[in-house]
Amino acid sequence: MRIGIFFCLAGTDKNLNIDAVAKYSANLPGVELVKVLGIRPRLNSMELCKELKDNHIQRVIIAGDMPGYFKPVFTKAMALAGYNPHEVRLASFREHGATDQDSNDRAKAIVACATRAVPFSLAAIPKETPVHPATLIIGGGVAGIQAALEIADAGKQVYLVERTGTIGGHMAMFDKTFPTLDCAACILTPKMVSVGQHDMIRMMICSELESISGAPGAYHVRIRQHARYVDSDACVACGICTEVCPVKVPSEFDAGLSDRKAIYIPFPQAVPNSYLIDGENCTYIQTNGQKCGVCLKKCPKECIDFNQKDVVEEVEVGNIILATGYDVLEAGKLDQYGYGVYPNVFTALEFERMTNASGTTGGKIVMKTLRQNKRTKEDEWVLLPDGDAPKSVAIIHCVGSRNKKYNSYCSRVCCMYSLKFAHLVREKIPNVTCYEFYIDMRAFGKGYEEFAERIKSEGTFVVRGRTATVGMENGKMIVNGEDIVNDTPVKFPVDMVVLAIGLVPARGTEVITKMLGLTRDSDGWFSELDYNGNPTDTEKGGIYVAGMCQGPKDIPDTVAQASAVAAGVLRSITSGKGIGHRSSLSLSEIETRSQLIHTE
Amino acid sequence: MPIRVNPKLIEELDFYGAEDVQFCYHCGDCSANCTHTDEIYRFPRKSMRSLQMGLERKLETALEPWLCYYCGQCSSQCPREADPGETMMALRRWLIGRYDFTGIARRFYISRASEVLAIVITGLLTGIGFVLYGYFLGNLRIYDGEGAFLPSSLIHTFDLTLGSLIGVILLINAFRMWRLTLYNERSVHIPWWLYLKWIWLLPFHFFTQKRYAECESQRATPVFMPWIIHLFLMLGYVIMLVLVMAFIEQLQAGPAINWKVHIFGYASAVGLTIGTIYFIGSRLRKRSEIQYKKSHSTDWVFVILLTIIVITGIVQHIFHRTGMPVAANITYILHLMAVVPWLLRMPFSKWAHLVYRPLGMYFAGIRKDAILRQEKKEGILVPNPV
Repeated sequence: MRIGIFFCLAGTDKNLNIDAVAKYSANLPGVELVKVLGIRPRLNSMELCKELKDNHIQRVIIAGDMPGYFKPVFTKAMALAGYNPHEVRLASFREHGATDQDSNDRAKAIVACATRAVPFSLAAIPKETPVHPATLIIGGGVAGIQAALEIADAGKQVYLVERTGTIGGHMAMFDKTFPTLDCAACILTPKMVSVGQHDMIRMMICSELESISGAPGAYHVRIRQHARYVDSDACVACGICTEVCPVKVPSEFDAGLSDRKAIYIPFPQAVPNSYLIDGENCTYIQTNGQKCGVCLKKCPKECIDFNQKDVVEEVEVGNIILATGYDVLEAGKLDQYGYGVYPNVFTALEFERMTNASGTTGGKIVMKTLRQNKRTKEDEWVLLPDGDAPKSVAIIHCVGSRNKKYNSYCSRVCCMYSLKFAHLVREKIPNVTCYEFYIDMRAFGKGYEEFAERIKSEGTFVVRGRTATVGMENGKMIVNGEDIVNDTPVKFPVDMVVLAIGLVPARGTEVITKMLGLTRDSDGWFSELDYNGNPTDTEKGGIYVAGMCQGPKDIPDTVAQASAVAAGVLRSITSGKGIGHRSSLSLSEIETRSQLIHTE
Repeated sequence: MPIRVNPKLIEELDFYGAEDVQFCYHCGDCSANCTHTDEIYRFPRKSMRSLQMGLERKLETALEPWLCYYCGQCSSQCPREADPGETMMALRRWLIGRYDFTGIARRFYISRASEVLAIVITGLLTGIGFVLYGYFLGNLRIYDGEGAFLPSSLIHTFDLTLGSLIGVILLINAFRMWRLTLYNERSVHIPWWLYLKWIWLLPFHFFTQKRYAECESQRATPVFMPWIIHLFLMLGYVIMLVLVMAFIEQLQAGPAINWKVHIFGYASAVGLTIGTIYFIGSRLRKRSEIQYKKSHSTDWVFVILLTIIVITGIVQHIFHRTGMPVAANITYILHLMAVVPWLLRMPFSKWAHLVYRPLGMYFAGIRKDAILRQEKKEGILVPNPV
């Protein structure tokens, strides 16, 4: 068969040495014509047809980053020339991971496979590797918990690494789940407890990944367990230490709405249910034992040990699951909404903690009260359970999401949790006016659209058109926007504003990316191997992604993905054969394989 | 009434500078931020919408573009970087083309080459004409009085002819604007006396450009400089126009300075000089503000011609007063070579704003009154009673 290869570049493939690839492809069997057409060439099917006819080309290969873009022209040219129009094959560099300088060999292999009409992914199946039965899960949120339980229940060892003092992640902070308005804690807490009690799960709390080596199926991982200064086996969580501790810092679990002490338990249902000391804020540790130490004296179980040191532990695992989750965008960056300027502008996470019965206001939705700080004698706004309930609440969607200046992507969960907030506001406060300012209502899941309709019918004013600014007039907050459906400018005085703030990859994602040699997409989330066919695997064998760290998703999707990952891990463990690095295959190996598949 | 959709409109507006309209997803941030938008004239989002949908007829009859003074607030906050401010500017350019019955404005906006060519040709023709006249009928060594190279009576006649020509073009275009925006818009009934009621808007906006200042006043740190400069430039231009049209003979007379006339000339020269320097600087530095981020090719032609006119105008005046008639005559010819194309270009370029802006404001006032008279608009959403 006479083959013609056309390099139609997209401009993104600058890293590749196209000349070298073209030279290589010219020597492939059957190749009669190799042409580099440059970046985004303007093609004419009549001219191409003539060229194909002159060279008697029976198969066309389009090589480049977006070859599919040029396919229609070539198909037409083939048809015009009277050849089989189906013999137009694509050699897509980017799709198959030939993106950087080192991937010249891969680019060559992709072209070689295309000349034999063999799909690259079929020829480039990595070698199988023996698999260690243990699994490492990074991140103890709902994704990590779900995956850990699935794998451990199958009888395999799991190491669950969590950075903070408890597992549970963001879901533990939530009050209700949408669209069923189930209690989030009722779903999560039993799972957390089973993780804590499971024989096959080793929780490594306050721990971070330090380094990683080895190959797929046999990774050596060094994990640094930060000192927690409290013996978690002996601690009975009596809480005396917290009562006496003089240091106050904003609570991470309460999204900064309330204060916690330097010795604290993240929340009452924490797993492991034990106190820990925040070394960075503890007076005793910061002064090397010169000052304070009250908790040490008061602890009835004598379980506080200030001499504890960080422990670096080495574990050997076969598979690694990334479930690092997300953070919320810094709301102060968007100055038009007055976050941090006006006291009653809250982010979604703060509001979530406020409506939560375990939160600082006991589940009451209240405005902040002006109070004098006893120590500094300055007036400050604080959230008190007996504060006034707002008479009107505005919920603003798409804050920092779908915005080219911040996150160009949709954070996917904001619409639904905002609707949930509207429901909670109207449920908890009688005669309240609630506005939802949205651009597009993205109610994509099962029962979501019905939920949205329900909230609308309950009497929430759903305004199509986002708030542009939040201002202050005569001591009252004003939301200023445009109602697009009714074609009017809107200016509503409100008592409280809730910002449905966008989501960003968790802090430290970049470090892990570098450590594991993974890739991230343009938005910063971990890249999966194939969005449709392989949404849990990564480019590297034996490393998987679950939950938000791969991209924004809601709880059902996160849990589903976590279970899917567990299935992949268990498959590799039970078969004893894991998938190696795709990049480990050499050019000649792929060539031979494609030859074999071709002749079959 | 059937609505005609022109799917190519968005591509057409590309030539006028509205390049990113298709990115808009209608969050309404721009309209909510705009100082000039009100319950009747809602822009820029609605204009963007009309453009996306290709509602050519609706945009043709729109007065919104003339209400926008391009403060750039909308563009700076746009989450999609769809540049609504520039879209409004492009719509103004497009509307100038629509109002213009000759079709020259459209040609100039779409093709830079045709504009430059037209300017060069008119400039050269002017130069050749005056040189021939002077060569056969005048003396290069005489600037004013008997036997002058370019006698002021000739210039005066020429001015008046040119002025009438431009005036007629502008008048016809203004009439077309009225027909498009008010007369053809049958959905709104406009009683005749509304035209009288709002007539004061015309001189008011012409001389104060109040809305430009309003644009700035809503910013955290208002910068009134562009408004003042704009006003300077505009007033300088108008004074100079009046001087040239009516008092050219006094202006050109005698080496001695005739303060009664010349004082106005100096004032306007100062205004024009400051304005020109400011605008060149702004465009060169692409002042961080949105307005000067993109300069349409036609904007540059305007600035360059203005610079030549100001410099040659001042220089020929100095040459004349210091007793150098030959040099004065030569610079005068150069001056005229720039002035004539510049004046002729006026109805087809940004300077037509001078006419359309106040007219737009006037018509907008009339239409708004008429609409409000017709129906009391009821919002479905009412702010909560607090």
